[in-house]
Amino acid sequence: MIRLFHVYKSFGSKNPALIDISLTVPKGEFVFVTGPSGAGKTTLLKIIFCAEKPTSGHALVDGRNLTRIKDGELSSLRRRIGVVFQDFKLLPRRTVFENVALSLEVMGVPPSRIRKKVHQTLRYLGLADKEGYYPPQLSGGEQQRIAIARAIVNNPLILLADEPTGNLDYDLTMEIMALLKEIHTRGTTVVVATHSQELLKGTRRRIIALHKGRMV
Amino acid sequence: MKIIFFRYFVRQAMRNMVENRLVHLIGLGTMVIAFLMFDAFILIFVNLNSWTQEQGRSLTMSIYFKGEPERAVIENIKKELLQYPVSITDFISKDDALKSLRKQLGEKAGLLDGLGENPLPASLEIILSRDVSGDSLPYELKTRLERIHGIDEVQYSQEWVEKFQAIMGAVKIIGLVFGGLLFLAALFIITNTVKLTIYSRKDEIEILKLVGATNRFVKIPFLIEGSIQGFLGGSVALIVLFLVYVAIITKVDLSIGFASLDIIFLSPQFILLLLLMSSIIGFIGSTVSLGRFFRI
Repeated sequence: MIRLFHVYKSFGSKNPALIDISLTVPKGEFVFVTGPSGAGKTTLLKIIFCAEKPTSGHALVDGRNLTRIKDGELSSLRRRIGVVFQDFKLLPRRTVFENVALSLEVMGVPPSRIRKKVHQTLRYLGLADKEGYYPPQLSGGEQQRIAIARAIVNNPLILLADEPTGNLDYDLTMEIMALLKEIHTRGTTVVVATHSQELLKGTRRRIIALHKGRMV
Repeated sequence: MKIIFFRYFVRQAMRNMVENRLVHLIGLGTMVIAFLMFDAFILIFVNLNSWTQEQGRSLTMSIYFKGEPERAVIENIKKELLQYPVSITDFISKDDALKSLRKQLGEKAGLLDGLGENPLPASLEIILSRDVSGDSLPYELKTRLERIHGIDEVQYSQEWVEKFQAIMGAVKIIGLVFGGLLFLAALFIITNTVKLTIYSRKDEIEILKLVGATNRFVKIPFLIEGSIQGFLGGSVALIVLFLVYVAIITKVDLSIGFASLDIIFLSPQFILLLLLMSSIIGFIGSTVSLGRFFRI
């Protein structure tokens, strides 16, 4: 599903953010990417969802070479990747429903189908009663669940989560992690980037550790 | 384009305008000023242009007589004129001329009482109806008439009109440059207004791109927004211009000595054209600022 070959990424003259990264994440796997701040976790995720291009090397996602991707292909690829961030990235002036519907609107899904899918997803995440609320009216945990709803409403092949629990307390962290695991069981490939050792304690999942841009 | 997308785009554009109403109002205000200057300029230009053309088309010629001419002389001249494309207005006798002068002077008419003899000449006014500007006909007619016994002098407005047309030629060039500059100013203002709204919605654009929106999907609402804003700016400017126009024609006397200026408002076709142009400027302004933004 995700394959990286000798990927390097540098921003200007600063120390490179990624150095010689080669990895494979098969379809349906759940992996953690870990490492201290500045290790290159976010850059790695950005390369996978094509917000950044590798300086050298190749990245393949769902069979597409990201170094040679065109704008039209890029948007269709992104519709197959759901992304969740530490700061949620929700639109504060849109309701919960509208935030989640965004993923389907960009695909040109008919409104009746959008309504159905959004209701379904919000119900699945226990947010059915929050539809008409605006994100700032909700708690951090709820906002992150809405971000997850937006990421999975169009049944993506891959779910990327960048420090999804970074702003949440322990209980909410466990809740969100349980949710990600459940999404994984439905067949979605999940990649979670985190610096939290607590999250990794006792896990039997594969852990990709980064340090100063290198895999260790 | 799919209907679903179109509905989304229009809804989105409207929503953006309401959500960012302050930015839009400021932008609209500046745009109205720019369009108003442009429209006012067009109005003046169109009027001056049609007025000079009018003057050039019908040329007035005045025939002045020595003393009071006999009826037979006038008939003779009228017969002579039949072979030319002219229409003859009334004969004005010496007395008529004095009477009309008295009328014009009003209260000061008493000044004329001091004159022993009536100094005003009798005259006959003719209008050359065909487009004779740049033609030798007026001059030919003038020399021919002046040879007739009893005619003192023949004057015509040709020289003046020619001078005025030369000035209008210069005005047209200045107008083109000035109008072009105003057009660019309007474009610049709109570009910056749209840029402001784009920057205020940077996060939204980022999120849209993230969930798989194509560039076109992100851009179209902004283009609709820009066009609507241009259209609104253009409409308000035209309304203001019309109100100013009404105030001027009803309150101010616009006669300049010999000729009164009939100012006409822009024709419906012209209004439509200006509105279309405002929308197009809005559209182009958005395209330009979006181009810049998407390069960043």
